[in-house]
Amino acid sequence: MRKVMLLFFLCAMFGFADVQSALGHSALFDCFDNGDGTILCQGGFSDGSSAQGVRIVIKDSDGNIFQEARLDSNSEVVLDKPTRNFSILFDGGTGHSIEINGESIQ
Amino acid sequence: MKKLLAASLGLLGLLAAVQPADAHFMVAYNKDTYMEKAKDLDMRMVFTHPSEAGTVMNMGGVKEFYALHQRGDSDVKKIDFLKNVKEITWKNGDSKAPAYEAQIKAKDIRSLGDYVFVFTPGYYHEEEEGVYMQQITKLILNVGGIPGNWNQPAGLPAEIVPMIKPYGLWTGNVFQGQVLSNGKPVANAEVEVEFMSNEMQLDSNTMSSKCEVKYPAPQFVTQTIFTDENGVFTFGIPRAGWWGFAALGVGPDKEYKGKELSQDAVIWVQAVDMK
Repeated sequence: MRKVMLLFFLCAMFGFADVQSALGHSALFDCFDNGDGTILCQGGFSDGSSAQGVRIVIKDSDGNIFQEARLDSNSEVVLDKPTRNFSILFDGGTGHSIEINGESIQ
Repeated sequence: MKKLLAASLGLLGLLAAVQPADAHFMVAYNKDTYMEKAKDLDMRMVFTHPSEAGTVMNMGGVKEFYALHQRGDSDVKKIDFLKNVKEITWKNGDSKAPAYEAQIKAKDIRSLGDYVFVFTPGYYHEEEEGVYMQQITKLILNVGGIPGNWNQPAGLPAEIVPMIKPYGLWTGNVFQGQVLSNGKPVANAEVEVEFMSNEMQLDSNTMSSKCEVKYPAPQFVTQTIFTDENGVFTFGIPRAGWWGFAALGVGPDKEYKGKELSQDAVIWVQAVDMK
């Protein structure tokens, strides 16, 4: 669903031709509930290039930041799971940012 | 007249002997090779003739079943799934033999990236020819779209390394692979190609009796390609579905229990229609 949303966003921004070129290097991101009060997030790009160092932000619906981190050499990071509503942003820059609603994390 | 009859019978006998049969193929199967998010895998490993739901053969047990997982250029992780393997009986028509299933939970493959599944069976004894066969088989799945080690050797004695992403193939693409023996390219290797013409029916552990392809003649059932000097072969995919590639006798082991062994490398890929 997140990838579909990203595609729609890109379509709206740049038109179909640009979506094709963006697909050559699309950002991909997902998070998983570890069941122990932490969340594992993994990111990357569709060409396999590393997402090491990409900023990950956990924030509430008002934009208040709970926590910031950066993806490690395996393009992943473990975060503390907030106790109230939240979303997680993969801040990959223009056209490469993805936000996940905390409620969709399993 | 008798000489003519004898000559005719001899010729018929020779033709029968050299008539190319459809190929023995180790099938490694999961419904999809690509997943947006991880889901439970329901895998089957069957030694059969997939182009016609043909004879099922006893593969001689399982030696290894694991996945090599990588996302991007992160570390490769080996996940042993041998404990997930369970013996079943696979039946195609009147033919049945031991085969294997593997149930793998989504949580065990939740990480994004490639999962290069490796299935190493035991040894199949081909009594009529007095030889053994072992087909080391790869099936490459992807979760979430981030590629990883799909084009990297798995370090097998015999293997086919894809040169085109094997879980994102359109009908009409080519499939290109490199045949390796202990990591070294095999020039002039014979590679057999077959289409899975009959649907895998996992509920009953059978292949459908309905063949989806009308083969005009036996020559069309098993395609044959030889690798170039770099061990590379190329095959145009004419139809959506599952395609198997088997590089014959390329492994370093040539003998088992005092008899000739064909140690083969197999890979399965899935092609999808562009709609």
